[in-house]
Amino acid sequence: MKIGLFIPCYVDAVFPEVGVATYKLLTHLGLDVTYPERQTCCGQPMANAGFEDKAIPLAEKFEELFKSFDYVVAPSVSCTAFVRFNYPRLFEDKHHCVTPQKVIDVVEFLHDVVKPTSLPGKFPHKVSLHNSCHGVRELGLSSPSEQNIPPFNKIKDLLQLVEGVEVIEPERKDECCGFGGMFSIEETAVSAQMGKDKVERHIATGAEYVTGPDSSCLMHMAGVAKRQNLPIKFIHVVQILSAGL
Amino acid sequence: MSTKSQILSSLKNSIKERFPMPDIQIDATTYADPLAQFISMTKSVGGKVVELQAGDDINQLIRSLYPDAKEIASSLPEITIATRNPDTTPTAQSLNGTDVGIVRGEFGVAENACVWIPQTMKERAVCFISENLVILLPKAAIVNNMHEAYRRISFNDLGYGTFISGPSKTADIAQVLVMGAQAARTLTVILIP
Amino acid sequence: MSNTAHSKAAKEFLKNQKYAKWHDQTFWSVRTKRDNMAYGLKEWEQLRETASAIKRHTLTHLDQYLDQFSTNAEKNGCIVHWAKDAAEFNEIVLSILREHNVKKMVKSKSMLTEECEMNPYLEAHGIEVVETDLGERIIQLKGQKPSHIVMPAIHLNHDDVGELFEEKLGTEKGNHDPTYLTYMARLSLRNEFLTADAGMTGGNFGIAETGDIVVCTNEGNADMSTSCPKLHIAAIGLEKVIPNYDCLAVFQRMLCRAGTGQPTTTYTSHFRKARPTAAPMHIILVDNGRSQWLSNPEHWESLKCIRCGSCMNTCPVYRRSGGYSYSYFIPGPIGINLGMLRNPKEHSGNVSACTLCLSCQTVCPVKIDLGDQIYKWRQQLPSFGTANPEKKLMSSAMSFVFNHWGIYNSALWVSPLANRIPRSIIYLPLNPWGEGHEMMQFPKQSFHSLWKKGLSH
Repeated sequence: MKIGLFIPCYVDAVFPEVGVATYKLLTHLGLDVTYPERQTCCGQPMANAGFEDKAIPLAEKFEELFKSFDYVVAPSVSCTAFVRFNYPRLFEDKHHCVTPQKVIDVVEFLHDVVKPTSLPGKFPHKVSLHNSCHGVRELGLSSPSEQNIPPFNKIKDLLQLVEGVEVIEPERKDECCGFGGMFSIEETAVSAQMGKDKVERHIATGAEYVTGPDSSCLMHMAGVAKRQNLPIKFIHVVQILSAGL
Repeated sequence: MSTKSQILSSLKNSIKERFPMPDIQIDATTYADPLAQFISMTKSVGGKVVELQAGDDINQLIRSLYPDAKEIASSLPEITIATRNPDTTPTAQSLNGTDVGIVRGEFGVAENACVWIPQTMKERAVCFISENLVILLPKAAIVNNMHEAYRRISFNDLGYGTFISGPSKTADIAQVLVMGAQAARTLTVILIP
Repeated sequence: MSNTAHSKAAKEFLKNQKYAKWHDQTFWSVRTKRDNMAYGLKEWEQLRETASAIKRHTLTHLDQYLDQFSTNAEKNGCIVHWAKDAAEFNEIVLSILREHNVKKMVKSKSMLTEECEMNPYLEAHGIEVVETDLGERIIQLKGQKPSHIVMPAIHLNHDDVGELFEEKLGTEKGNHDPTYLTYMARLSLRNEFLTADAGMTGGNFGIAETGDIVVCTNEGNADMSTSCPKLHIAAIGLEKVIPNYDCLAVFQRMLCRAGTGQPTTTYTSHFRKARPTAAPMHIILVDNGRSQWLSNPEHWESLKCIRCGSCMNTCPVYRRSGGYSYSYFIPGPIGINLGMLRNPKEHSGNVSACTLCLSCQTVCPVKIDLGDQIYKWRQQLPSFGTANPEKKLMSSAMSFVFNHWGIYNSALWVSPLANRIPRSIIYLPLNPWGEGHEMMQFPKQSFHSLWKKGLSH
């Protein structure tokens, strides 16, 4: 099984430790992981802003770089969802693309494909789980609060494998944090209010950390928390899963 | 071309693909005791349920429920305490000021406390204009849900029927729930053996 | 970045933090009530799926069902009118009212009459129009428009309403108790019902097989509006027609559960014909763009909407910006989409009022892909000439950088320098991120450079 590691642009530039954690965890689990060096961005920011045409050359490049892998694993739910659900549309008039079927978020990949029964690390902390929108409502990492389906949460399931961690969900467990890419700079007031409301609900759980499957949500909330002097730390879920490695 | 045919042809031109009608086979919730569910739902939507015991007099029962009522409107033959009759009232407006209106319900719906009331009187205003509404409902006539209800309803020539669940209500002022918006302020369902 | 009208209005809205919190909390509690209803029915998701499929079927056979509906309504003795647009609709209403010498008309809630701006038209022609839904009546007295399609006066608190009623209805000074105010409105409206010459209702559903107009209310005002006056006019948009009672059962079960979190509205009334003592009932079927919208391959499913309002209640942006922050008269996710169908040039500003969290389409009882449609509208803005030039520039610049490996790599290399830019420059008003956030710290090395240095060894 050949795995292509997809480290989205903002993780690359701002949160390299998330990329490192993903790599270490996957190799620890005995997987054959390669990082195609010439990758940059999947095109989501431009497309969500309304400029799919600007995303198309990036999608083509992505497809070219990753098409030969069995799985394309990324520590980011929104980028994964973008490739899976929007690439077919971007490629519509051109040619068939294969990466939408191969791309998978690291949480999904571990939970559904690798299925580890134990993880080596310890993380003796109380964490509040941030269920990122695209993880919940596009990738199905957890049961959306809107739906009447049997409850599940793949992130929680995985975190249970780490010794010492206590996982809590905030009130309004999957309400959006207000990042939304360019939304955060176009609707600054609403975005900041959503971020503040969300961080306060995370803090109300009594947790030391907020953890989630998408660094963009965490980055947004961290920026808001710092501005508002709200005392809580942020950590990507894969950093907890790879604790001790 | 008439506006109707213009609109219909515009629709025809717009429709690209005609989707099939789905199978409407809902695996709908049913209740072990539909009557108990109906009673509990009626209470939860702000209504009251009273059971007429065998041998009891319906008129006495209603009197005891509304001892101060002066104007009572009903076209039901068994209601002898009525002071007004929606069948013979000159206008719907003249039913205004009714303290208690009494009508017959055909059946109740367990899931949501709806009672089906087809119009059987000349002026259906009695169902809404009365301060307090009493519905006489056969105790055995309870269906589980709206799927069953809609298979059961029938219309007479008056061409009107309504499901009523509880008293008139509103939360339009600051989301505070208030009973008695424009229609009946209280609702009592009397279960008839 | 140049701001949309929505973002400016939202910023104003959020300045009153106490009210903004109340607004968010109030709608969240409606959402929670809705959840309890949804969780309470094991068949909920099956109902949604079926409701969606029924609507798809009906909309793509609307020519047939409308024909069937009007034939049956006429058989019942109703007079059916067809209006191609708002102007024609208003003229039809006026001509019916004139024919019956109507001076005053009471009406129940209808978003269609808002859409057609019927009230001002009739008033200009000498007809007194009285809204009878309490929320609608409040905003009519206040001279405002609805801020939510189900809870139209939600932007006013009990003091606002109390002061309004003191002035308009002569209520006791300082008594702003909602129960008292509701009772006083009841007395005032009762008089209107008794003296009106006509009553108008909208319709939640038209039933093709029987010709019924079905109206759902909690207050009983649609029934009051039609059980006293000598004339009943019902007005519905074309998309409100559904095939039969089996379909109606599905929608009746969902409408109120989704909209307000109640198991049903208090009244679900079926109007087939006029009362024996009244003039024949008139039904007006209104197109006003709908038959055209149906041809839009990406957006026709917005016509599935049953106007429950649940997408607004769940929308984190609506809850924190209010109904008046949107340019279209229907706010929130469905309003963003319907506004774009109506007039994309005028309503493009609304499409950025969305984080694409997709809660709307996950809540929607008829499964309209609301968020996905907003994404698709964004792609079309350049064709309407309404794309934001700064966003376009940023997207082009990003695309250029990301598309040129060498430039991307150099950008990665210099990004840590951003950490050393003085705070006074970073938080210039030009940087909208800095309005609500502190800047992120760039690490010394990117993942790329760590990889190169031998992460894999």
